[in-house]
Amino acid sequence: METLARYFDGETGQRLTVALRLDKVTKTLCLDHDALPHGTQYWPLDAIRALSEQARKDQLVLSLRADASLDSALITTARLTVDDPQMIATLKRTCPDLDRREVPAGTVRKIVSRFGMAAAAVVLMIFVILPALANTLANYISIEREVAYGKSVVSQIERLLSGSRAEKLTCSNQDGVAALNALTERLTAGSELNYALNIAVFNHAMVNAFAAPGGQVIIMRGLIDRADSPDEVAAVLGHEIGHVEARDTTRNALRAAGSAGLLSLVLGDFAGGSAVIVAAEYTLNAAYTREAEAQADLFGLNALKASGTDAAALADFFNKLEGLERMMPELPAYLSSHPDTKARADAARAFAATQGRTKPILDDAEWAALKAICS
Amino acid sequence: MTRAIHARYFGEAGKLFSLYIKTALLTLLTLGIYRFWARTRIRKYIWSATSADDDSFEYTGTGLEKLLGFLVAIVILAIYLGVVQMLLFYFGLNLFTEPTNQVQALAQIGAIYITLFAVMPLVFFAQYRARRYKLARTRWRGIRFAMETGAWGYAFRAIGYYLVTILTLGLLWPLATFRLEKYMADRSWYGDGQFVQNGRWQSLYKGMKHVFIGLAIMIGGGVLAAMMQSDFFAVAIAVGYIWIAVGVVSYRVYAFNYLTNNKVLDGQVTFDATVKTGEVVKNVIIGGLAITVIMAVIFGIVSAVVTGIAQSLMTGGVPATLIVVIALLYGAAMLTAGGLGLVMITQPIIAHAVNSIEFQNADHLTTIRQRAADAGADAEGFADALDVGGAI
Repeated sequence: METLARYFDGETGQRLTVALRLDKVTKTLCLDHDALPHGTQYWPLDAIRALSEQARKDQLVLSLRADASLDSALITTARLTVDDPQMIATLKRTCPDLDRREVPAGTVRKIVSRFGMAAAAVVLMIFVILPALANTLANYISIEREVAYGKSVVSQIERLLSGSRAEKLTCSNQDGVAALNALTERLTAGSELNYALNIAVFNHAMVNAFAAPGGQVIIMRGLIDRADSPDEVAAVLGHEIGHVEARDTTRNALRAAGSAGLLSLVLGDFAGGSAVIVAAEYTLNAAYTREAEAQADLFGLNALKASGTDAAALADFFNKLEGLERMMPELPAYLSSHPDTKARADAARAFAATQGRTKPILDDAEWAALKAICS
Repeated sequence: MTRAIHARYFGEAGKLFSLYIKTALLTLLTLGIYRFWARTRIRKYIWSATSADDDSFEYTGTGLEKLLGFLVAIVILAIYLGVVQMLLFYFGLNLFTEPTNQVQALAQIGAIYITLFAVMPLVFFAQYRARRYKLARTRWRGIRFAMETGAWGYAFRAIGYYLVTILTLGLLWPLATFRLEKYMADRSWYGDGQFVQNGRWQSLYKGMKHVFIGLAIMIGGGVLAAMMQSDFFAVAIAVGYIWIAVGVVSYRVYAFNYLTNNKVLDGQVTFDATVKTGEVVKNVIIGGLAITVIMAVIFGIVSAVVTGIAQSLMTGGVPATLIVVIALLYGAAMLTAGGLGLVMITQPIIAHAVNSIEFQNADHLTTIRQRAADAGADAEGFADALDVGGAI
């Protein structure tokens, strides 16, 4: 069969209208035109490839198999556009590898090695370079700046938690605040602190407490509601003060600033992927390192011991959190950033066993006042 | 030598939509890795749907090289962004003082987010590289397009011109539009024929007409409303806002037409573009409305199903399967929205723009010869990593 087709030689912008002949004996497609060298070009049927994802069904664009290359710019061949429906049907039937894609040699090795490089760079940044840099920089920030930053972090969290209700979350019942101050004073009496502590209770049901840079510690009402004794509150507070003193929060903020965006860089933003990225980044940045947690625990335990409070309170509170976790599938935020709860409870109990006589850190009246701080 | 040829667009909504959904699903299943192939396949479709003088364009890029380029970009970006963003944040912290009121506190939080600007030079760099890659992988009649190197030059100019634009409250926007397009156009080639951008930047002010009218309505209305303490004039602000939004589209359409009409290829071939603002706005509004309605229906069904399941299972807390089902439905809805946006807004606008272009003196195109290949080392890895460039 014969028909006309448009031929582009890949060297000039000229369009040649060539005559197409299909030679079934030699299995070649012959292109005839006076302007072609020797008047004819022969395309072996098994070397013909059709371009993929073509929008137009009324034409078929063909090329010859080229030496494959990892860089598509280096592949050059001529193009042949066929319009004749009958010829299109015949070619689709007789060309064996029309839709085949050549994969150049060494592709897999190249992909693997580049993946390795990229993964190594990201892992090195997130887990080695950024933490090290954060550690160094955290020591150069003046305490006043840290305090100022910490206060703005706290006020931002307050705005976030209060949601649409534009009200102050800080609980200000006078007796409650006095009890909280008494607790803090007794807990820290034995230790030299770098920071002036600024401790507040937020009126929120979440069972959580957190530290912000520069001596800011926030306890949620839910945590006080859940606690069975003032010692448990003191244990959590001691732990958070440990984070404050070690500048863990400042370090974390620096590290978060460095790794922000790194994950979205890697994952891209496909169909609602940003939610996943935010979640992943949160877990990456919210967690202190294991050593930082252990250090903060130790700081808290020592503070409890120095004030003559039973250090087992920390263990009690950990056990309580574990029970809480089993009851509710949604994780209490306090727990999610504090792994290995059981092991840490055991450590606290072992520490408590070395203590002598203890008494509650607040008397019953003060404890009742603290419980009512948000009323 | 005065023959004119027309461009035409042949794409169909149904085919592109199914291609989008197919590739998007593969992207989800591969945790995002397939997105390079997805974008490549969609580009192949759109390019092949575009023709001039009935000869189709061809996109020769591959998903594989995009992936490889992306991985290279990741190595560089991870190091640059990590260190630079942390240092900027550190210096931001050192500017901190105790906030005395809400406004100050907000301003300081804003100062922290300035770290985001660490990316800006790279975004412009990536924009240029992406356009260069796309041109280098585009062929018509077998002849390659190309763009010279110059991404850093572009990034510095872009920062400068956009700063000037911001400092003059948008008054010098035409300068930025014209100079940046000229920078890129003058470095573009079709085979051995070079493009040249002629024209003057001042000519683009005519296209700003509706932006200025919108501004006048907004400011005039706002002042009057404040003076008379009347709600009626506040309407003027809303009207002005919409007027400005349409005005911006109108400006961009005007700029596209003007810049296209003042381009010359190889000293001979010229172009006529007659894109109409009305068509573009119509597509955005109709497409946007249709998508909103369709999505509302889908989400309605989804939430009905979810509440139904939830009520029947309420006794046993929140089962994990339900969360998975909700996540899947949410993902499906997001996919559908993306696909609809592509076929109901993006493609019709491309079709309108392509169909409105005419090449003058087209016979000269046959004398143009092939040029050496531009082997892009990183494909457009930076653009992929920084998510520059939108749907296609």
